[in-house]
Amino acid sequence: MSDMAASKPQVKVVVAGLTKRFGDVVAVNNVSFEIMENEFFSLLGPSGCGKTTTLRCVAGLESADEGRIEIGGRLVYASAQGINVPANHRSIGMVFQNYAVWPHMSVFDNIAYPLKVAGLRQQEIRNRVERVLAMLAMEGLEDRMPNQLSGGQQQRVALGRALAMNPQVLLLDEPLSNLDAKLREMMRVELKRIQKETGIPILYVTHDQTEALAMSDRIAVMSGGVIHQLGRPEEIYNQPRTPFVLDFIGVVNYIPCRIALSADGGARILLPDGQEAVVGTVAGTAAAAHGAGQLGVRPEDIDLLDPVGAPAGTVKGEVEFRSFLGSTYEYRVRVGELALRVQTGKNVHFREGARVAVRINHGHFLAAETGATGQRAS
Amino acid sequence: MAASHPTTNPVAYGAGRRLFDFRALLLVLSAVFVLYVIGYPLVQVFWRSIVVDGEFSLANYTRVFLTPRNYIALWNSVWTALAATAVATVLGTLAAFVVERTDIPFRSGFRFLFMLPFAIPPLFAAMGWVQLLGPVGLVSRALQSLFDWPAVPWSIYGPGGIIFVLAVTVYPFVFLTVAGALQRMDSSLEEAARTAGVGPFRIMKDITLPLVLPAILGGALLAFVGAIDNFGVPAVLGMRRRFYVLTTRIYEALTIPDIPLATAMSILLVLLAVTALALLRWLEGSSGRYTVVSGKSVRPHIIRLGRARPYVFAATLVVMVVVVIMPLVALVITSLLPYWGAPLDPELLTLRNYERAFAQEGAKRGIVNSLLLAPTAATILVAVGTLISYLNVKGKMRAAAFLDALGTVPYALPGSVIGIAMILAWSNPPLGPSLYGTIWILLMAYLMRYLSYALRSTRATLHQIHDSLEEAAVTAGASTLRVLWDITIPLLKPGMIAGWVLIFMPAFRELTVSVLIWSAGAETLGVWVFLLQDSGFPERASALAVATLPLIVLLYAVAHRMGWGGERARS
Ligand SMILES: Nc1ncnc2c1ncn2[C@@H]1O[C@H](COP(=O)(O)OP(=O)(O)O)[C@@H](O)[C@H]1O
Ligand SMILES: [Mg+2]
Repeated sequence: MSDMAASKPQVKVVVAGLTKRFGDVVAVNNVSFEIMENEFFSLLGPSGCGKTTTLRCVAGLESADEGRIEIGGRLVYASAQGINVPANHRSIGMVFQNYAVWPHMSVFDNIAYPLKVAGLRQQEIRNRVERVLAMLAMEGLEDRMPNQLSGGQQQRVALGRALAMNPQVLLLDEPLSNLDAKLREMMRVELKRIQKETGIPILYVTHDQTEALAMSDRIAVMSGGVIHQLGRPEEIYNQPRTPFVLDFIGVVNYIPCRIALSADGGARILLPDGQEAVVGTVAGTAAAAHGAGQLGVRPEDIDLLDPVGAPAGTVKGEVEFRSFLGSTYEYRVRVGELALRVQTGKNVHFREGARVAVRINHGHFLAAETGATGQRAS
Repeated sequence: MAASHPTTNPVAYGAGRRLFDFRALLLVLSAVFVLYVIGYPLVQVFWRSIVVDGEFSLANYTRVFLTPRNYIALWNSVWTALAATAVATVLGTLAAFVVERTDIPFRSGFRFLFMLPFAIPPLFAAMGWVQLLGPVGLVSRALQSLFDWPAVPWSIYGPGGIIFVLAVTVYPFVFLTVAGALQRMDSSLEEAARTAGVGPFRIMKDITLPLVLPAILGGALLAFVGAIDNFGVPAVLGMRRRFYVLTTRIYEALTIPDIPLATAMSILLVLLAVTALALLRWLEGSSGRYTVVSGKSVRPHIIRLGRARPYVFAATLVVMVVVVIMPLVALVITSLLPYWGAPLDPELLTLRNYERAFAQEGAKRGIVNSLLLAPTAATILVAVGTLISYLNVKGKMRAAAFLDALGTVPYALPGSVIGIAMILAWSNPPLGPSLYGTIWILLMAYLMRYLSYALRSTRATLHQIHDSLEEAAVTAGASTLRVLWDITIPLLKPGMIAGWVLIFMPAFRELTVSVLIWSAGAETLGVWVFLLQDSGFPERASALAVATLPLIVLLYAVAHRMGWGGERARS
């Protein structure tokens, strides 16, 4: 069923027009995406946006209301044809937010369970569990009971259990959110490595944008049950297609202004206090070439310069506050009425109270009337 | 694009449909059980109390209120239970504070022993206290010879004795709830007061006591229900002085037999119990603002007694020995005496009472019956309770929630009512033979009385089993039944065992219901001990009681370790 042309990367999961309601709440609204073999695909969005519900529909733990789902080339759900394969026949692996490691089974038995259910022979089970344990660097822990394991180790057991049957897709629901910062960092790397080793595609759910950006091949940003934007992490970050995506991914300064585009892709903006600034590049201006609105600017897209001999197009400001973050400085700079967050390299220092010249390198324009940002043709 | 043609036959994966059928079947089975065992007798008892000769009538109730013997019994029930509750509340609260909040030695030993009376049948306690403080009691005689009294200046028979013995039997309800609240209380509240320079005893009075007040009142209400429900104590200590309470008056009415009157009185008993339990519900509902007491497990703030430590220890020990140990010791001594009232001479001690008690066919049958009935009832109820809780909690089926509610009703019913319901329901059932006069009516009574215990412990445990544990097994490829067998049942096992023990214990020594429905050939242990005591053989009654104590205490120890049905699971 999966003998597809070897040349193209194979589609492993297809979700098309998926809709799920709980009473009046439309938890998932016409969501579509595909996951390729070897791909790390994330659903990213704030709490309550429908990520878990989408994942559970793919798993078969929740039955969708409309749409179509294929896993490994097999149709597992189709509202039109009345097909709904139960979760235990979908050949998936799933890791739950709270690990859900069975407390009455040893590490070995937890990982071996899917293999036992599948009816594998004793020796085969033993071999496979050993391979999984080796991959997770958990050799020697097979006889431990879950309550003798740390949170990170339990996480690995859950992962091993999900991987044991070589599933068509691995479903992960905020698997790192219960770990402390250090471990989370480690597990991110681990997860990527394991995925590379096994080649199993991953559908990953998280509300943590840093995590999603760092790990994913592609990200679908969700809000209110719909996908706002789907793309590579760089696209999502650099070319947010809706104000929601801009706002949700990273930190943004909103600068109310009037804008006039220039031919080179940049723009001139008029700030509320009357100063005029030149912006290096502006995205999202398809809707309005001129007009009033807001310019969304990320902290790292602003430079602070010495006011003496500052180039034209910068505006005057004053450092209100500075914090040292190790590799960077974070400044709060007052420009007229505005307070801007600015992030600079660690060798740019200005004292608190110092006067600075502020240069805006890049921004996303949100026109006042529509509030939408169009995608600049690329 | 991948191939989008369906590669699976939807019918082959019709597990969704099969699952529905399998659950529906289980639901129907448990519904039949609950309606048959609980619903039908309940309807009978309420119906017959308001229908006389086929017509609606309150005549049965007017008879209660027009005959002094009857309304005096009602009044006696109320006031003795209230008085006993007052004493029990003071005793239970003080004991809980000392055990939970001071550094006296052997705290866990005290905890174990202060709750022991939960397991000892109140009938045994009443017998023990007669043997201590009765006219020829061990303590009475010692004091008489010491002070040269012609007779002791008190009487264990009558309301005073009943109140005292009820109090020392029901105080564990207060102890348990207060100790639980003290364990769960966030000690930072007390520490805040301490850093403000307030002394430890002032903190107890001004901070701790008000915070655990809802727990104290809750325990008191449970103690009240336990006291009005009791038959053994007022039967041993009241009937011979013609001091009747509702439970003993119902017993008497049934020996006439005047079933309609007994039914009406039992409904009054229900009203008393339901009132108390409704108050408890209201209290639990309105004490939501005391969320500080319902938090996670925290390290409690322990008062260092310092130089007072030995004195507090000695005082607590004395109270514990008097309240818990002495009645048991009295039973043991009495069981070894050649005759009741014999001098305490080690030379005279004998095992003859044991021989005689066990030589009686009725006693043998009583023990065998109780040893059969209690585990049978416990096993059936745990199975049914597990099923209903599973359909209710995991299946989220409305009908199962209703069965759970119906199955919990008997929790509010005093034993006498259940006894009468059994007589009304099974003497002449519409289907099948009469169960009256057989051992089966006792089984039906225990099934009705204790289903709520099984429901409660399995429901609580199932709630703790997070859905994702089962879902993880489904995504691992397991079918619904396989998940149930491999994951749910093993995880539920502690709750099932707890429920089993919690049913076995009271069922094994049940008296209040059994004494109304036993018959020759269908005796129980509790009934036989009562009959021996009632017909003037306290030494044989004691022998029989003492012989069963090891089993009772052993089961209690098991239950204690398991945390008494979850109440203390977090300690
Ligand atoms: N079992 C359910 N019953 C009713 N509403 C639900 C249920 N599960 C989720 N929802 C609702 O659906 C929406 C999406 O939930 P969810 O998928 O859990 O969001 P996320 O995982 O993104 O935080 C929320 O509004 C939530 O309240
Ligand atoms: Mg979620």
